[in-house]
Amino acid sequence: MSVLPFPSFLDDVKEKGFKKAVFEGINEVVERATAGMNVQDIREALRGEAPSRKPNPRLQPHADGFWLHMRPSYFHKSVTGIYPEFRLGWLSTYFVVFETITGIFLMVWYTPSPEVAYANMISIMSAVPLGQFMRDLHRLGAEAMVLIVTLHMLRTFFTASYKKPRQFTWFTGVILLGLTLFLSFSGYLLPWDQLALWAVTIGASMVEAAPPEVVGTNLNLLLRGGPEIGANGLLRFYLLHVLLVPALLFVFTGVHYYKVVVHGHSLPPAEENIGEDTAKRVPLDKRVYFIPDILTSEIMWIGITTLILVILCTWFFHAPLENHADPQSTPLGTTAPWYFLWVQGALKLGDKVFWGIIFPTIALGFLAVMPYLDTTPSRRWAHRRTALTVAFLMISATTVLSYMGLAEFGVPLSADVEILHEMTMEPAHNHMGKLLPIPFDQLAVGMYSTREIDAEAGQEAAAIAALNAEIAENGHMQLITNALSTASANFSGTPSFTLVPSDADELHKALEFFNERMHHDADELVNAWGGVIILEQQADLKRAMAFMIWNEVVFDNGRVAYGTDGEPILRLDENGQPVTRIAMDYVYIHRDAQYFAAPGS
Amino acid sequence: MLQRLIFEKIEQRILVGTLAFLAMMVLVGWIAINEGGRMAAFEQQFLARSIERGASLFAANCSSCHGLDSRGLGGRAPALNSPYLFGHDYFADIRREEQTLNSEKINAATSPERVVEIDARLAELENERQARLAQFGGLENIPGDYDPLAPSRLSNLGYAGSLRSYILTTLIHGRPNSSQYWDNPMVAWGQLAGGPMRMDQLEDLTNYILNYDKGDAWTVEDAVAVRQYPITVVDIAQAGPPRETIAPPDTDPTTIDLDAAVAELGNFQGNPQTGQTLYNGALGCAGCHLNAIVAPPLEGTWTRVVETRAPATGLSPEAYAVHSILHPNEYVAPGAPYIEQANYAPAMPANFAGRLTYQELADLLAFLQTHDEPVPG
Repeated sequence: MSVLPFPSFLDDVKEKGFKKAVFEGINEVVERATAGMNVQDIREALRGEAPSRKPNPRLQPHADGFWLHMRPSYFHKSVTGIYPEFRLGWLSTYFVVFETITGIFLMVWYTPSPEVAYANMISIMSAVPLGQFMRDLHRLGAEAMVLIVTLHMLRTFFTASYKKPRQFTWFTGVILLGLTLFLSFSGYLLPWDQLALWAVTIGASMVEAAPPEVVGTNLNLLLRGGPEIGANGLLRFYLLHVLLVPALLFVFTGVHYYKVVVHGHSLPPAEENIGEDTAKRVPLDKRVYFIPDILTSEIMWIGITTLILVILCTWFFHAPLENHADPQSTPLGTTAPWYFLWVQGALKLGDKVFWGIIFPTIALGFLAVMPYLDTTPSRRWAHRRTALTVAFLMISATTVLSYMGLAEFGVPLSADVEILHEMTMEPAHNHMGKLLPIPFDQLAVGMYSTREIDAEAGQEAAAIAALNAEIAENGHMQLITNALSTASANFSGTPSFTLVPSDADELHKALEFFNERMHHDADELVNAWGGVIILEQQADLKRAMAFMIWNEVVFDNGRVAYGTDGEPILRLDENGQPVTRIAMDYVYIHRDAQYFAAPGS
Repeated sequence: MLQRLIFEKIEQRILVGTLAFLAMMVLVGWIAINEGGRMAAFEQQFLARSIERGASLFAANCSSCHGLDSRGLGGRAPALNSPYLFGHDYFADIRREEQTLNSEKINAATSPERVVEIDARLAELENERQARLAQFGGLENIPGDYDPLAPSRLSNLGYAGSLRSYILTTLIHGRPNSSQYWDNPMVAWGQLAGGPMRMDQLEDLTNYILNYDKGDAWTVEDAVAVRQYPITVVDIAQAGPPRETIAPPDTDPTTIDLDAAVAELGNFQGNPQTGQTLYNGALGCAGCHLNAIVAPPLEGTWTRVVETRAPATGLSPEAYAVHSILHPNEYVAPGAPYIEQANYAPAMPANFAGRLTYQELADLLAFLQTHDEPVPG
């Protein structure tokens, strides 16, 4: 006879008493939620005890539950430590989840439109609590994921885990590497700053080079949504970044991991005979069960890894945000993201089509089919000399090409442009002009010259006085005033150089750097001297201008031409006098702009 | 060692994991607590860098007209670095005290002795104002209109928005009509209005211009250092010499000497094209005279005047037309459909003598005479 007209929980209470009925109810709910483990089972597992009932309830969640259905119920003891996996595959998966969560947070505040995307970034940084933090995490996670996935591939290569029967697992892994690279790259464009626009412009123009022309042109149009990256291109990259590529990544992560489970984690090569694969035959004494050991370990590693990322984003890493994207102004020294520097380096070798498209395709294609080419059975290093040699050659080539991809390498810029750029450049790629981080109070209005640096100790004032007399004589003063008016500088009064104020250390250091750079390129910049002119524009805004004056030399094929005496040949004007040139660049600095020298710059 | 779980004992893993999560939460909590300050600092820093970019844009695009120091260039463009744009009132303290005194003065409870005191103080304040005004020596030599006593450019323009919106909208659209008072009009700078600059660049420029504000620290030197003040535009409708209409505005049509008007009109040669513009435009004739149900239609007007209406009144056709325009209800054509209507009331405005000059009346008549196309049938 039920308490209510139908069977209910109250019947249990009537029969067993309230406390017992509630506990049993909870127990049942827990057992259903975990697909097989009740409260007592969980307690035992967490205490490190053996299961007290049979069949082993710790295997049930793998058999009946969704969340663990793909996880193996036990691992071979030899693959649970640092070696041979270094947790790299696990970390890659961790970053997929990590990037998804932080990415969804950022999606809430982001609109993929050139009109508002940059303003969205500003609002994420200035008006969304934890917004900058989330952006830093997402960006750091993206860079780390590229690194981790690449290392994962290298590890798989060095332990020869791609060999039979895991060839297809490797193949899907190469696809995942490609997707990871593209995800990271497509995310680059979204902030719609200068870094974004130009990095992606470089990438998309590589696509444009794909042969034949009809394919390249149309692929480029499809990707950019027009001849130039604009509203359509941004929307496309956004959709690729948040929809298509993640969807593919999830599918291939599933396939990849399924294959890992099907074939078992490959054991360290030393533990197996040549040509043998014993990963699926785990002796009882070598088994480490997922519940509780691997599970607690993974949860612990989630905590540790996330903590490391949080620490990095609290004190050491901030995602860069440069000025608003401007198709009209190309920043000097634009580079692709670091993981594509090898392609940019290859492009400097010659033909755009071969080095930009065919070469990377062959390289990635070779990676993808490598397990089907290298069919030797042994996983021992001693037996894999050819494979290891090829691998080291490829790693070396990638490193060299990446170095060649840097802006510093092989870009023919004239020394004056480069030096003035180093003095006044906007913050980009963790660099900024030497004048920017000078404390505002040290930017004393006046004209300062590198002659002061060259002068012997105690002779600075005399050197400056001599300079003022000299330039009035030789017309350099006229050059400077002309350059000032060309640069729309609001300069009034009689120009004359003075000593750097004694309390302006940083300004002095910037001048030292300026002087050193000019001496370094003394062959190209003969008799060069320069200076810094600081003007007040508004009460809390100053204009810092760097200029240099030198004698032009003759160039032969882009290189300085030398005479028989070993000295650079000076260019002469129609009267036979050396040609004197002046170059000037400037930057505005506001009191609150807070430029700090980047670490290591 | 390398091939075993790190932290082999489960207690160690649970402890380390828990500590890691706790540390993470503490750290995130600490970040969250500091977010307010960090966001404010970011905003300040971003504004500063926006001002820097604005300064670059200004030097490259604006300084050739507004001057490198934004003090304007004579005859080119007005100053932005000026107390006038920011509405600085050099007499704010005097104004405030006067207001207080005046409201006290009109209060019934104020004693007559106090009123005498107040009047004395008001006179003092007026002297103070004149003395301060005298410091603006040389202001009269600066082109443009600036009166320190009417110190706000926005108020003078009747602009009700903020100074930021005033600057920004001016940048977006330029001053399309400013060629009426400057040599070159200010062009539209916003891409929104077909100009070259993106919105964020205009925001940078606006931040830069607003950064000229000195708050309470504007000095008389700032006011007299300006090279060009804005030119106050007069309402064009009220500009120019007064119009000599046939009669003063709002004259009763019955009092007009129509015969004299007809005689005077003989001195003017009409232009039918101007007449057409008046007919269709400013005077609004075409609004009614297109439909025989409402008013006599334009077509055939002159034929009717010459053949029917003028003979019936004994006037010449020109005189009849003048009578009909300046005093429309003097003669009403019998039998017209609009008169037959039960609720007929004279509908033609009777104020044309106050609106038309003789020349315009002549133009109108010329138009009527040359557009006499009788309705077929």
